[in-house]
Parts: sequence; structure tokens; C-alpha cells
Amino acid sequence: MLVSIFRGKFAFVLKVITLLILSSLLVMLAQQAFASGEYAIAIFLAVSTLALNFVYLTKRSVPLKFFLPGLLFLLAFVVGPILYTLAMSGFTYQTGNTLSKPEAIAQIQKLSVSQDENQTIFDVTVGKNGSDELSLIYLDSLTNEYAISTEKKRTVEPESTVVKDEFDIPSSSPNFRALTEDELGALDAQIPELKFYYNDEYYLALEGFQAASLYKKSLQFNEASDEFKSPVNNDIYRDNGRGNYANVSNPEDILQPGWRAPIWFENYTKLFSEERLRTPFIKVFLWTISFAGLSVLTTFALGLLLALALNKAIRGRRIYRSILILPYAMPSVMSILIWGGMFDTDFGAINNLFGTDIAWFQNAAFARTAVIVVNLWLGFPYFYLVASGALQAIPAELSEAAAIDGASPRQIFSRITLPLLLKILSPLLIASFAFNFNNFNLIYLLTGGGPIAQLDGEIAGSTDILISYTYKIAFDQGNSNLGLASAISVLIFLLVASMSMYGLKKSKVLDDFV
Amino acid sequence: MKNKRTGVVGVIAAAALAFGVVAGVPAQAADKEIVIWGDEKRGANLEKLMAQKSDWVKGYDIKIVTWSSFTALKTALDAATEKSGPDIVMAPNDWVASGAKNGKLAPVTLTAKTKAQFTAGQLFDLSYKGKLYGLPVDVNNTGMIYNTKLVSSAPKSFGEMVDLYEAKKSSLKSGLCVAGGGNAFGGLGIGTALGAYPYRIAADGNVDSADPMNATTFAANVTKYLLGADGKSNGFFSTSDSTCKDNFLAGKVPYAIIGNWEWKDYVDKGFKMNLMPVPGVTAGTYGPGFGSVSGALLTTYAAKHGVEAGAKTALFNIFGSATGARAYQAIEGRPAASKDGAKYAKTAAQKGFAKVAGTSSLPQIGVLLDGDKTSYWEASGAFWTAVLVDGKSATTEATKLAAIYKANLAKGLKDL
Repeated sequence: MLVSIFRGKFAFVLKVITLLILSSLLVMLAQQAFASGEYAIAIFLAVSTLALNFVYLTKRSVPLKFFLPGLLFLLAFVVGPILYTLAMSGFTYQTGNTLSKPEAIAQIQKLSVSQDENQTIFDVTVGKNGSDELSLIYLDSLTNEYAISTEKKRTVEPESTVVKDEFDIPSSSPNFRALTEDELGALDAQIPELKFYYNDEYYLALEGFQAASLYKKSLQFNEASDEFKSPVNNDIYRDNGRGNYANVSNPEDILQPGWRAPIWFENYTKLFSEERLRTPFIKVFLWTISFAGLSVLTTFALGLLLALALNKAIRGRRIYRSILILPYAMPSVMSILIWGGMFDTDFGAINNLFGTDIAWFQNAAFARTAVIVVNLWLGFPYFYLVASGALQAIPAELSEAAAIDGASPRQIFSRITLPLLLKILSPLLIASFAFNFNNFNLIYLLTGGGPIAQLDGEIAGSTDILISYTYKIAFDQGNSNLGLASAISVLIFLLVASMSMYGLKKSKVLDDFV
Repeated sequence: MKNKRTGVVGVIAAAALAFGVVAGVPAQAADKEIVIWGDEKRGANLEKLMAQKSDWVKGYDIKIVTWSSFTALKTALDAATEKSGPDIVMAPNDWVASGAKNGKLAPVTLTAKTKAQFTAGQLFDLSYKGKLYGLPVDVNNTGMIYNTKLVSSAPKSFGEMVDLYEAKKSSLKSGLCVAGGGNAFGGLGIGTALGAYPYRIAADGNVDSADPMNATTFAANVTKYLLGADGKSNGFFSTSDSTCKDNFLAGKVPYAIIGNWEWKDYVDKGFKMNLMPVPGVTAGTYGPGFGSVSGALLTTYAAKHGVEAGAKTALFNIFGSATGARAYQAIEGRPAASKDGAKYAKTAAQKGFAKVAGTSSLPQIGVLLDGDKTSYWEASGAFWTAVLVDGKSATTEATKLAAIYKANLAKGLKDL
């Protein structure tokens, strides 16, 4: 009965409807991505739509009918981010360099204006003059004249002809009519670009609808030579190849904002060439290896010990097993926060229990101990579970035969059980190492990477692992550096991938798949 | 059968394309809408303000988007795109430098009348490299409150507070703690009272480029007032008291620094708003706390949305006018930034915090606080931990702190 649902006309109609809905959704998303300028995403969605319809409406490739959804998700959520991170690691991408170059140029041009020394600003009314040109009417407080300025000229209006509103601001004259609210609203998009003539040096620019300031350009952009020039002191600012226009005579003097500029491998090289980055990077790297290694070792040892203990038929074994799994069942975020409270210096249960007064998170050794202890709590049930399962898979005859031959229980464990267990569990141990290498939640929630000797200028904490250190670099409040963080992420990826591959090769667990 | 399949494929493709295209057409933004983003307090305040009066800019609708917290607001602003970004954002002044550097904020120019509503320091707080990026809205500061259950009158000097603590030590949790703003923001006044200034403001209102602190003097003051004969903390200043507020309310702490966003909790418990800056080591002097402003900042998205003129007008009409300031102040619990708004302060707390800011405060200038290596925010807390918790030498740590402040000032001055 169940099988018949997936065959025949009904199944075909169901498939067509599903594909129709899915395709519609993907086309919609593709279009929105295209409209937002996200062309790579738009193309990926369009190709995915075509691929889905092709695979499910033809019989060209039956295996793809099973693999395609997973393949698409893998491309979207694994390969895509890796490629993006890789690309970003080759750019200056930090606070001050987040825009594209055209956006940065537009913003610099907007900022490259200076007011007159009195910072004059007039109350104005926006309207049109007798020739239907866009104009401003205002009382020029510098000359005490009523004037109308258009884009190209300024004319003086006799005071007697000017009509003023209740705030004494000129609102109309025979040569000027004010725009209506609707007309003003329609003009809003153009207002940032509008310049009204004041004199040969200064122009008027609107500040909202009711005021205009006197401005002059403080920097001129030359598109052909790709440089900004100051008409005041003739300073020239050129593209420094690092995402900023820099003063030719003083490279430290840069214009902001900058843009994301390609610097290729510089983010990688400076990790090793700049002392202030190299030292913390090496320190954090060594601790990351130690942390991941110790975590795997301790969780595996305790999990195995408990599994061995409960492998024998003892009274209440089921209850013990259930209790041992509890830490695994509890959300780790909650466990970490609770442990954080338990390690509190003043009110924590640990200090109260042992009658100590240890500032657990303010001393590197104690903080690292706390991190390992909490991770042991979080991780041992997993290894208890997998070790229990693996022990069942080891034929009892091997141990029995060894016992008959006179092997002691310790010899049986070290020569038979453990090697066989390690053979079975190697992939899981490697996966656990990789997981702990990137165990961001634990570090971030428990110690925040600290303690950190900030007064000594340290930028990495004693318990920071590479991923939490990367997070700090990427999202530091005042000065984030996504390019550098991307480079470290790529290195983490390469390290974890290499170590995992090496481990898998050594353990020969992949041999069975070949 | 093959033709039939081809037909079905064609139908699906056509239908999907038609449906997807129709559904995917970006929704047209409402005509002339100005979008303002705020945190859970200022956003909610603005929503109330708009409910009272919505025509702040004729011909425009003003839409308020309230985020659940400052963090959520910052995250959203960092991730904002041309399509999603706000036209105006209600933000603390230390977002100005990074916002301007990242091209997210656009400059505004004020009329003389609007400018006169604010102090030069408030406008300076919202400026970066000489350009103003918004209008000040409210004052963000802390003040020291003394516990009338334990203290009969306002302390005149830092030493007087320490003496009182030493006399009643057995029944107290600590002498002084920071209940609002954390040790870095709220605790600035304690550092400055003893001589640790991250920067100073000169008499002409500009930042003083000279060395802001004398490490020897500061270390001597810390040793005298905060350390015991054994060189360890005498317990007067509790740097890690997460229950400062509860202890103060329970009468176990005589002096606490509270934020101007939380005074209601104290008033509800019957405490008077006897607010003052932290007294200095000499009677009559004070250690300034941060007296920063939060502002309504214009974003570059406003021009991209074609509403920049409307957004600027909204800024002037809501936050720069007497009408707007008065209406907003009636809703906001903090002291108003504008002079017009301050006239309409209703509560003793608002007046008290305004008095603290007027008596002694240091404008919070983000670029002077963020360092290349260690920011003020990290260094100040690290100093207290090193000396009062870890028992390290006050002189050594004060020397490090002074070097950090000096370096940050030198770097920040280039950015001002």
C-alpha cells in the first residue's frame, strides 16, 4: 500500500507539485538575490532550480536523485563559506575598509567639503524661480540682503517684494514660488547632490528642507588619474594599494572611509612576520593543541573506564547508565553557564566545597584547569556511550582464549581490548579532537578566553583557542579585522583537515572504503 | 510519453518562473518613509512619541524599529545593507568613529539656533574628524549615591569615605561598589578621583594632549586608600561585586555608583537621589565620570533611500527643537541633552544626574579610548583586578596603565 503511493499517476502529480513549489521558491529567492546585487547567490539558486528539475523529471541519473539535495546543501553551507572565507583572507577587510571602492569614493567626495569659517547657515525656502528653475530664497545674513540662488546664479530680491512666513523666513516673491510638500518630497532623492550658487568660492547646499550651508570643496577627485587633490594646499591623495587614498607626501595621512582592497597573502604573512600577532598566535596555537588533546584524552579515559565498569552485569546498571548519560542530555550552554557560576570566586560551589578562595578565572593555570574539568564533564558521556557499544562488538572469545592461555585481566585489556577499541574508535577520537580544536562555545561562555594580561598589551587570553582568538580579531568592538580573521580561519581549516587526514590514514580506517 | 514529460517540464518551468518572479518582486517601500532604529528603551520612547505626534516631517511617515538591546541594535547595524539599513539610528557616541570610518554615517550641519541647544562637548561627542554625525539626545552618565541608612551627609573627600568604611567594616560588604555601568564605564570616577585619567579636557574645551595621568601619584593614592598594610585590598572598593545593587539596598554598602538608566529601582525602594561625583582625595575636588551623550545619528542609507533631506528635517524637528525635546523628555528617564529638554526634567533623579554631569564629567570620546593594543575598557578593569584581586604592585601596574592611556591618547588625537 505504502509503496503504491510512490508509484503511478498520484506520485507523479505529487512530484510535479513539489517541484513546482520548490522551483517557485528558488526562482523568487534568485530574483531577490539578483536585485540585491548578490549575483553569485542568484546564479547558484538558478542553477540549483534547473538541476532539481532536470534530475527529478528525467531518468539520466538515478543516484543523483538521492545525492542532489545533500550536494546542494553542501555547496551552499560548506563549500560556499569556505570559498568566501578564503577570498576574504586576501583582502584588507577591517574597520574603515568595509565598502567597495566606488562607494568609498562617493563617501569621501561627500565628506570633502568645508564650511566657511563662520559656519554660516541660512534659513531657506525651496522653490522655483520665474524661469521654473529650482531655487532657494533666503535672507543672506552676511550681506543682509534677500536673495534667490539657482544652480548657476544668485540674484538679490528687494525686501519689499519678499513675503515672509510666521517665523520671519522668506517664503515667496514675485520671482519665486515655494514648492509644495509633495513637490519637496519628490525632490528628496536629488537634494544631497544639489548645489546652489552663492559666489565663485562657495555654494549653498541644503540641510534638510529648511536650511542651507555655505560650502566649498576641500578635495577634488580626478577620475582619470584616480586621485584626490586639495585645492587649499595642493596635497595629492593616491590609491595606496591597501584600500585607502594616502597623502603622497605623508603616507600616514589617509582619507576615510577606505575600501576592501586585495592584498593577496599579506594577512597570512603578517601572522608570522609581525611580532604583536606572531607571539599570541603561537601561544594560542600551542594551547589549542594541548586543550584539544587533553580533552580527548580525559573524556575518552573516563568514558572508557565507566564503560568497562558497567560492562559487567551489576545491580542497578541501567540506572547508572541513565545517570551517566544525563550530562550529555543537558544543553551544553546551560551546563557551561552553571559550571561558570560554580567556579565563581566569592559565591561558587567549588570554593565553598573545598574551603578555598581561588580566583579560578583570573589565573591562567586555574582557568585552564577549569576549562578541562568542564569539558570532561561535557564530553565523557559521549565516550562512555561509544565505548560501551564498541565493547559489545569485541568478541568475548578473544578475552576468554587469552584468559585460558594465562593472560591477566590487565594484559587482556592492554593487549586485546584496548587495541581493538582504538581501531574501532579512531575516527571518533579524531573527530573529537577536531571538534575540541574549534570548541568555541566552551571557551566563550566559560572564560571568554581570559584571563588576559591586558596591561602588558596581550591581545589573546590564556584560555583562548584559535577559534575564540579569531572571533576577537573579527568582531572586536573598536577595531575589527575580518580579513586577518579569515586568514586564521583558513589556517585552522587546513590544520584540522591535515591532522584529521593524517590520523585517519594512520589508523587505516579509510582502507575499508576503498 | 517523452513529449508529455517535456510538456510537464515546460509547464513547471513557466509556472515556477511566473510565480517566483511575481512573488520575488521586492516590495515597494512605503512612500517617503523615514526609518529610525533604536534600542529597547529609546526605540520604545520614540514609539510613544510618535503615538502622540506623527507629523514631525510633513509628507513623511516615520517608522520606528525597536531592537531588543543595544547589542542587537549594533549587530543589526553592522549587518545592515542599503536595502535594510535605517535612515536614523539612536546610538551611543562611541559608535560614531567606527560608523564614520565604515561609511555608515552621514554628516549633518546644524543651524546656529539648533547648535545653541547643546554644549560644545556634546556636539564633540558625536563628531569625527571635524564632522558632526547627528544630534545629541540624552546624557549617559553615572553618579555616586550615598546610603542614608549608613551615612548622614555627603562625603567631602575620598579619605572620608574610606574612614567611614574602616569604622563600620565588620557590618559592611564593601565601602564603594559599582552598581551601574561596570568597572570601566561606571568606575571611571573612582580612577579619576585617585588620579587615573585616560585623557583630560583643557580649559578651552579641547582635549589636552599632555600626559593624562601621573602613575606615581595614582599608585600612591591607590596604596593609601585601597590597600591594607599587607599590600592587599582593604575591601573598600569591591571590583567583583556583582551584587552591588542588592548590597546597597540592603544597607551593606555605604556608597555606590549607579547609572542614570536605573535610578527608578532605587527611588522605588525609598532612596533619595543624593547624587554626586566621586569625591577626590582633596576636599572639594571630584573624580569625573563619563558624561557622554547618546545621539540620533544620520546614516548614509538615508541618501540611498532618497529621504536624506526628510531625515535631516526629522532630526532637527524632533531632537533639535524645543517642541521635540520637551515631548521626548517627558517620556525619557535620563537627563536630556538639549537645553530645552533639560528645562522639562521632571524628577529629582534626572536633575541629580544632570547636576553630576554639570559638576564634574569627562566626555566619552571613543577614539581616545580605543587603543591599537589595549583599550581603556580593557585596561581599567585589568588594573583593578591586578592590584586588588591578584595583589600585584600598584606602582608597577599604574605605570603600565599610564603608558596605555598615553599611547591611546596619542593615537586618538590623530583621529579627532
